[in-house]
Amino acid sequence: MINLSLDNISYTIKKKVILKQLDFDLSSDNFILMTGQNGSGKSTLLKILSGLLKPDSFYLSYAQDISVKKNWSVSKNYLRGTFCYLHQTPYLFSGTVFDNIAYGLKQHLFSKRRLKWCEINHKVNAALKMIDLQHLSDRPSHALSGGEKQRVAIARSWVIEPDFILLDEPFANMDKQSRLSTYETINQLKEDNIGIIITSHDPHNGELKFNRHFHLHQGNMIEKFIPE
Amino acid sequence: MDDLSTATSQAFVLLLTGNAELWEIIAISFSVSFRAILFSAPLAILIAFFLASFQFPMRRFLIALFNTAMSIPAVVVGLTLYLLLSRAGPLGDLKLLFTQEAMILGQMLLCFPLLVALSYAALQSLDRRAWETAITLGAHPIRAFFSVLKEAHFGLMAAVIAGFGRIIAEVGSSMMIGGNILHHTRNIPTAIALETSKGSFAQGIALGIVLLIMALALNLFLSYIQGRGELSL
Repeated sequence: MINLSLDNISYTIKKKVILKQLDFDLSSDNFILMTGQNGSGKSTLLKILSGLLKPDSFYLSYAQDISVKKNWSVSKNYLRGTFCYLHQTPYLFSGTVFDNIAYGLKQHLFSKRRLKWCEINHKVNAALKMIDLQHLSDRPSHALSGGEKQRVAIARSWVIEPDFILLDEPFANMDKQSRLSTYETINQLKEDNIGIIITSHDPHNGELKFNRHFHLHQGNMIEKFIPE
Repeated sequence: MDDLSTATSQAFVLLLTGNAELWEIIAISFSVSFRAILFSAPLAILIAFFLASFQFPMRRFLIALFNTAMSIPAVVVGLTLYLLLSRAGPLGDLKLLFTQEAMILGQMLLCFPLLVALSYAALQSLDRRAWETAITLGAHPIRAFFSVLKEAHFGLMAAVIAGFGRIIAEVGSSMMIGGNILHHTRNIPTAIALETSKGSFAQGIALGIVLLIMALALNLFLSYIQGRGELSL
């Protein structure tokens, strides 16, 4: 299990303060709901956590060695290898569903971590089975529905085995059936001990068993109590 | 009218009977322009990627500069290179004037701004999520760059084909710095200009037909790779 401590995360854009010196810790057994009004900085924070957006200030330390604080330039690659970010409307590359899920597995062609074709095939098929979309393996990505795209994007993140998956408004514009399937997929991630942060406006009616709740308001973040 | 039809039929005879001189001119033309596009496209696409993806000082100025340079006349490029490469010029020692290498240089300068501007348009219209998705899925920035190029390949192909179209048909620069020397630097446009000035239209028309067929073939190829439209009225 991974424990991280994040300190002094600030982000300003065009003189507007989006995030104000946030301090919090994360653990890969966390299942976090992140709420806040539109423009409160939820997506910004997720992008910073996943190493996609450079903050004004940032310090990261691991729980094993909490005294050593690493700045952004040192932490960026670690964050990119630890967190996987999913956009509100996921971007699927041109090609088939299989190609998309295999994308992250083909990124180490020239290193010792390179996977054999049969291993990639095996992992992608396992991911397709998890999201129950084996029958769409050869379908072009542009021919999928919104809900299917979201589930393919989740499976694509799952196969690369990140410690955390960050989902930005995954249920926006989804019909009820797609929403139920996506809940099921996310709960599956949790069973695989992947830390999850979800930004959402929806109440979810208890389908997702969050164990922490962060709320962003005017650049500050508070942790809310989650009743049993 | 009779002259035109006679010249056209003679042009087809020249083409179909494999006139060596004619086909040599065609070969030189394609060889020079292919090399010019091959050497300039990678750097142009890289610059377009940086212009489309990152904020840095002078970015807007550079975009305006490349857009302006798209319309630079070929003769101005030819004249500038002529002055630079001529014996008295600063690059005279290279002895490049009236060589295919000089023609390639001229054509590279001509197509480069067009390649940058059109590639920039293709890459800028691409969703930023493509880059972020590649990075968050563990791609090294260089691989993410190639993934983004793959996503924009229709637009980039169109840019390369437009660049090729610009240089294969340009006459000003090739004439001035190539010198229109038979067997060496005579390409399709300079040959057409020469034959027309001599009143020998058949070869000019034959070469014009080759240019038109090539343009049609390239556009058919582009249409093919772009696939069929999916909207229905």
